[in-house]
Amino acid sequence: MLKLENVVAGYGRTRILHGLSLEVPRGGLVALLGGNGTGKSTCLKAIAGLVTPQDGTVALDGRVINDVAAEDRTAMGLSLVPQGKEIFGGMSVAENLMMGAYHRRRDKAGVAADLEGVYTRFPRLKERRRVLAGMLSGGERQMLSIGRALMSRPTMLLLDEPSAALAPRVVEEIAEAILSLRDLGLTLLLVEQNVGMALEVADYLYVIRGGRIAFERAVDDGVGMDELRDFYLSGAH
Amino acid sequence: MDLFLQYLANGVVVGSSYVLVAVGLTLIFGILHVVNFAHGEFYMLGGYAGITASTAFGLPLPASLAVVAAVSCLLGLGAEALLHRGLKNQDQTSSIIASFGLAVALQNAVMVTMGPQPELMHTELAYKAIELGPVFLPAPRALIPPAMLIIVGALFAALRWTWTGRSLRAMAQHETVARLCGVKVRRVAVITFMLGATLAGVAGFMMSAVYMVHPLVGNMIVLKAFIVVIIGGMGSPLGAAAAGLLLGVIESMTSAYLTNGLRDVVGFLLVIAVLLFRPQGLFGRSLERS
Repeated sequence: MLKLENVVAGYGRTRILHGLSLEVPRGGLVALLGGNGTGKSTCLKAIAGLVTPQDGTVALDGRVINDVAAEDRTAMGLSLVPQGKEIFGGMSVAENLMMGAYHRRRDKAGVAADLEGVYTRFPRLKERRRVLAGMLSGGERQMLSIGRALMSRPTMLLLDEPSAALAPRVVEEIAEAILSLRDLGLTLLLVEQNVGMALEVADYLYVIRGGRIAFERAVDDGVGMDELRDFYLSGAH
Repeated sequence: MDLFLQYLANGVVVGSSYVLVAVGLTLIFGILHVVNFAHGEFYMLGGYAGITASTAFGLPLPASLAVVAAVSCLLGLGAEALLHRGLKNQDQTSSIIASFGLAVALQNAVMVTMGPQPELMHTELAYKAIELGPVFLPAPRALIPPAMLIIVGALFAALRWTWTGRSLRAMAQHETVARLCGVKVRRVAVITFMLGATLAGVAGFMMSAVYMVHPLVGNMIVLKAFIVVIIGGMGSPLGAAAAGLLLGVIESMTSAYLTNGLRDVVGFLLVIAVLLFRPQGLFGRSLERS
């Protein structure tokens, strides 16, 4: 489904990714773990098209999409769920959700139906649909971000640290929402610092360090917290 | 009291033209972060385009208005290419300085082609007038506030309820997320500049039947528009609309009850006060919870 091969990327002369390769199979829920400054966000940006790789390829369904603009990737079924603070704060919840369907705005009935679908999935958003998104709590914002991405009818979702800055109880809610997205048949790439949450939901793990994949394993191969913790702590800095 | 109402009406007329110019200026700033000092020239060229269409070619007013809109859209297209697309990846000061350059270039181009003498648009309407109680307004003036209300009302409705409007607001609030939603920066930029230029152009056209138009008329207009934008809160179209009317009325009252010499000064004093005591503008507010 999604395949990165030897991706080199960065900002200006600063290189962040030094030949990163990873793969997300169709229907998979893959987690990409790493601490601050390891290149997680840059990796997501390269996939979403916000950063152009200097070398290597990003391929979706076998097609290299390096040159496809970020604006056009949504229509290809690739949707990035940015961190919860990245919303249209001065627009209502309903308007935020509608913006997710911007690329298929001519399909009025479809957009209306999908809006109802998101409200069914996240009843809190329905209650607060007329509220300005900037007034939402952290958990609600995260749901809004996911809801907005769903409005684009994606086949693949990229989630950028959905658990960041949320209370444990809310993280649990978000984890359940993510599992239910997989049950919908979506392919998911979850970028996280929260190892516990990633282990709970993902079926395959990558750990990024210094802009490269340093560790990868299927979760049911018995990757435990302990092993990962050891890996994290051993010379991560 | 009767005179007060007349002064108020005069202020609303001039204020309405400020609203049209300033709303476009604040949209361009709020959505694209371009500080456009050539905005006064959109006004000036709207005036000249209208005078040329109606006086030189004898077109009726609606047709002249269409000419003004078309010229303004072309101007907006060119200005976007230069000030936004051309300089997008550079320091913001580059586009500010480039907009000064564009202003001077346009002023001189008009000076060469139209000459330096001020011109007034002559219309049949000038012989008609409207009397509302003690208030007397020649028709070309009386038409400006309702025209402004219709134009700005339509603009706000479009921003609120159309996909294009939503995409403009989305871009103003979070460019990256807007792009992730599939909004194309270029398309939004061109639409925004065309809108801004047309609003200013139409204001210049309507005002050309009230005040003389000359190649440097944009200099004072753009400063007034910046006053309005700062008072209203940078990037807030609704604030600009309210502040535009306010400035028009304050200027009119200053000229009437103090001295005409202070007319163009009072707005700047107001801006200094706003920047000192309420830098987010009279109508600006902070929306983010965290």
